[in-house]
Amino acid sequence: MSKAWERSVPVFDIPILTRPFVALCAMGIVACGLVLYREIVGLGPASGMNDAYAWGIWKTFNVMALTGLGSGGFAIGIATWIFGRRRLHSVMRTAVISSFLVYASGLVLLGVDVGRPWNFLWIFVPWRWNVHSPMLEVGFCMPLYTAVPLFLEAIPPVLEWIHSRCPELESITEMAEGFLMRIYPWVLGLAFLLPAMHQSSLGALMLLAGNQVHPLWQTPCLPLLYVWAAAFMGFAFVSVILMICHLLWNRSLDVDVLREMSRITAWIIATWLAFRFADLALRGRLPLALEISSPSALFWMETLSLAAAALMLAVASRKRNIRLAFQGSLLAALGGLLYRFDPTTLAFQPRAGAFYFPTAIELLVDLGFLSLAVASFSLLAKVLPILPASNKLWHVMEAARWNRAILHPRQDDYKQYVAAD
Amino acid sequence: MASGKQSQTIADHIEASGISRRRFLEFCAMLVAAAPAGLALTTPASALQVARKIGASRRPSVIWLHFQDCTGCTESLLHASRPDIADLIFNIISLDYHETLMAASGYQAEAALRQAVDENSGKFILVVEGSIPAKENGAYMKLAGQSALEVLRDVSSKAALVVAIGSCASWGGIPSADPNPTGAQGVDSILTNKAVVNLPGCPPNPYNFLSLVLEYTAMHRLPALDAYHRPKFAYDRLIHEDCPRRGHFDAGRFANVYGDEGHRQGWCLYKLGCKGPVTHAPCSTLHFNELPGVWPIGIGAPCAGCTEKATAFRIPLFQTVDIHSITPPEKFPVINAPAGSVGVAAAATVGAIVGAAATAVVIASRRLPDSKQIHALQKPEEISKPKSKEIDPEGR
Amino acid sequence: MEITRRDLLGGMAKGAATVFAAGGVSSVARAESSPSEEKPQASKTAIAMLYDATQCIGCQSCVAACAQANSLTPDTKLDRLHQAPRDLNDTAKSVVKLYKPADGSPYSYVKQQCMHCVDPPCVAACLFKALKKEAGTGIVTWDGSLCVGCRYCEIVCSYHIPKFQWHGVNPKIVKCEFCKERLAHGNDPACTSVCPTHAVIFGKRTSLLDEAKLRITKNPGKYYQERVFGEREGGGTQVFYLTRAPFEKLGLPKPGNESIPGKYLKWQKRMYSYLLFPAALYAVIVFVTRKNWDRHEKHLKEEEITTGLRPQL
Repeated sequence: MSKAWERSVPVFDIPILTRPFVALCAMGIVACGLVLYREIVGLGPASGMNDAYAWGIWKTFNVMALTGLGSGGFAIGIATWIFGRRRLHSVMRTAVISSFLVYASGLVLLGVDVGRPWNFLWIFVPWRWNVHSPMLEVGFCMPLYTAVPLFLEAIPPVLEWIHSRCPELESITEMAEGFLMRIYPWVLGLAFLLPAMHQSSLGALMLLAGNQVHPLWQTPCLPLLYVWAAAFMGFAFVSVILMICHLLWNRSLDVDVLREMSRITAWIIATWLAFRFADLALRGRLPLALEISSPSALFWMETLSLAAAALMLAVASRKRNIRLAFQGSLLAALGGLLYRFDPTTLAFQPRAGAFYFPTAIELLVDLGFLSLAVASFSLLAKVLPILPASNKLWHVMEAARWNRAILHPRQDDYKQYVAAD
Repeated sequence: MASGKQSQTIADHIEASGISRRRFLEFCAMLVAAAPAGLALTTPASALQVARKIGASRRPSVIWLHFQDCTGCTESLLHASRPDIADLIFNIISLDYHETLMAASGYQAEAALRQAVDENSGKFILVVEGSIPAKENGAYMKLAGQSALEVLRDVSSKAALVVAIGSCASWGGIPSADPNPTGAQGVDSILTNKAVVNLPGCPPNPYNFLSLVLEYTAMHRLPALDAYHRPKFAYDRLIHEDCPRRGHFDAGRFANVYGDEGHRQGWCLYKLGCKGPVTHAPCSTLHFNELPGVWPIGIGAPCAGCTEKATAFRIPLFQTVDIHSITPPEKFPVINAPAGSVGVAAAATVGAIVGAAATAVVIASRRLPDSKQIHALQKPEEISKPKSKEIDPEGR
Repeated sequence: MEITRRDLLGGMAKGAATVFAAGGVSSVARAESSPSEEKPQASKTAIAMLYDATQCIGCQSCVAACAQANSLTPDTKLDRLHQAPRDLNDTAKSVVKLYKPADGSPYSYVKQQCMHCVDPPCVAACLFKALKKEAGTGIVTWDGSLCVGCRYCEIVCSYHIPKFQWHGVNPKIVKCEFCKERLAHGNDPACTSVCPTHAVIFGKRTSLLDEAKLRITKNPGKYYQERVFGEREGGGTQVFYLTRAPFEKLGLPKPGNESIPGKYLKWQKRMYSYLLFPAALYAVIVFVTRKNWDRHEKHLKEEEITTGLRPQL
């Protein structure tokens, strides 16, 4: 077992209010203003959605595609807890928090997108449900997942923080932690079951569109392909986050953990690609991929980027090449996003002559809420013990007594504590 | 004015006056054309049947008063396309008092009115042409020492039916146009307790007047009236609904300027300010002077809306009006209409995002160690930034 | 041998998992053998419309009558003078379009409105049943008190019928509802009652289907593919088309002869039937997780001893 990532430590040596943080929050505020505008004038003037393309990027990208990236808690959790890859424990908190933020932003944008949000209260009235509707499954399962298992998985860092900051609440936090430990396996069960259900239902949404979705994508296995893609996207996203945190905040990287993650991701992508091709072959759709057309170009963009990603990740894992692991994970994330986005928009042709492109408002709202998610992650990572590090760093932090004010801001000095042995 | 023996039926009278039966039947056919529906008189719809009905009735006594008028309504009654039709009209109705047409004047005229009213008291049809000035207690118009108000009230009290012919008598007409210095009003504003039938128009079509009078005389009933007391058989349709140029409107062919190609081709006059869409009148189907095409739109002049109080002499002639009953055009949508486009701002935003992301990825990628750099480090399991100075575990 | 509580619970979980799995498999098997859910039928009293494009003269009286009967503001965006919707939209529940081929072959008008499918994908899609198919008549209606405005119905409809109000704070989904208020008063739908050539007529689905087939028989070679569009399309619709021009040129899609929810939601229905499969899966997941969790708890305790640091969950 490696010693680089032993426990979660907050990013204690970087101030919270940096210029990028303020910029991200400002973009978030702009987005909130634009949402107000959308609520007042309606979806038409604020977005590029029309009757042919009734779903815009808020739904198709942020909910249907991006929550694949937010499946880190799901995918890495399964690898850790079901398949016993103990090494991945250290990244679970990062995975859970990032998943929570991606899901939260997705759900907020879903709320912004629907036209009559007050009727969503019917979700609390089961006899009004259309139990066969994939939309109901998504509408019920995603908020439930975010509010219950994901939230409960994300609570321990908060409890730790309360425990150390507020000694008077020690007994309560310990009681809470004890309770959590007792129900944890049941919570984890939900944390794996519910995403499996709704990530596949996100795929099932486009099933009902029938042959409006191009045959290279439309398949009864769409739900399975979506949840499988969520698996490798989750892994890829968490790898990328960890590597970026290393670059921005000088956190150490655990090569063995990253190798393991890359290896697993490569395997998931490889099996996914095999299944995709098998499905196309069995349904007799492979010749479509060999035509010269825009759908086929799109198909090959997805396939080749994912194949390249799998290859890069496999090589990176064997040769301990972090740069390649970064590039491979990014490609995997992008390929997965493209795959999940295509059947909703790019490979979705309801009728001739119809076209959709998001307006600047849609893009800015999207960007703004994602900026808020990033800013939130930055804030949480700096305050709560989330990002993995060595026990040594914990001691350094303890020495600084959780007090940011007396910390020396120069980053050079901190490094020596980590490298020293 | 011949005060005529009322005991004779119209048929007898026509025969006695030497007017041919054929002329009479032609006249009855005009009545059927004027009111194809909504009149008990013309419901049987054949000229012969109408002739029989009319022929069996007595000649109605008509007393015609003029007030603030231009006499246009009388002119319209008289301007038949052939002289013998005018002759016919005066053998069907008994025009017992009419200032323009009678020979008398002065005291004789006054006496003629008194005599006509007394002889036919309770039986005559009072036709009022022109508006009544009500300001200063009617001082703006006096007839033989009496104000117009008094004359109207006096004569109408003995009338069986009051018909306000023309826009002036119906709602005030031209004299009532802004600033209305004389306080000109329609008859029904003055005679609030009496039933008044309005026949607005400047002038109205005389056949509508005749249909109304004969319906009353022959069938002993008034036709259905609308909210403005106008007979529905003539005033319930808009000019726009039955306009012969409607096809051009629906196909989008408009005359844009007087005398342009469209105007010469006889296209729709809407853009020249035609008030057809807001004017209730029968002119689209019943032209004037018994001749087809003799009406404003027919000669290329946009309708002025002369029957409507809200339109005539109020909305400028060349100002277009709103269409209230919107209907489909002759243009058809295509099977797949184009939808959606790329906005400039959106494209720029996407470009900015992609550019920024690509730059960040390239920079990050360069800063991460590759396998060579990792193998060069002492502790391969753990990576941090390269050491820049000696390790000093004690100091800061 | 001591039976620990853990063993007992583990054994119970295993047993429960087997039972659930068996139940799940059997429910799948049961679902497979029931034909009724796979082939939905029209109700016996289903009403319908028959539109014969060869009789349509494009007068658009139906468009005007529909707007009037439904109290819709006329769409005058084209020239501000005429009611000229370019397509179905939130102010037009019925439109007449013109197919005019550039090569001079015969043109055709086509009237578009909701098809009131026998097994509508919009009804299957709607999460709170805001779109509902009435039992007797088969009319597909929209209920604003249940609609969330997610526009899923717009995405799934092969005929692109439900239209969303893209402006304003209280957007509705607008589509033909067969003039159900007029029907309740014993009148025919507005469009069928004003058509001057009886190109579109109203009646019972069975009668109109017979009438359409009769016309085909009486006029061989007149109608495209000698068949009625809507008899089987997407499992059948309640609006039939008889045309001379090819269906696809008139914007009529090719959904296949199977009902769309029946074809595409088969496995979803089976997997979630009574939630048995998810429950079985949950039991298995929890069983395996608990084993790993116990190992993890042990590891945490060891770590606490070696490092002296408080364990992190």
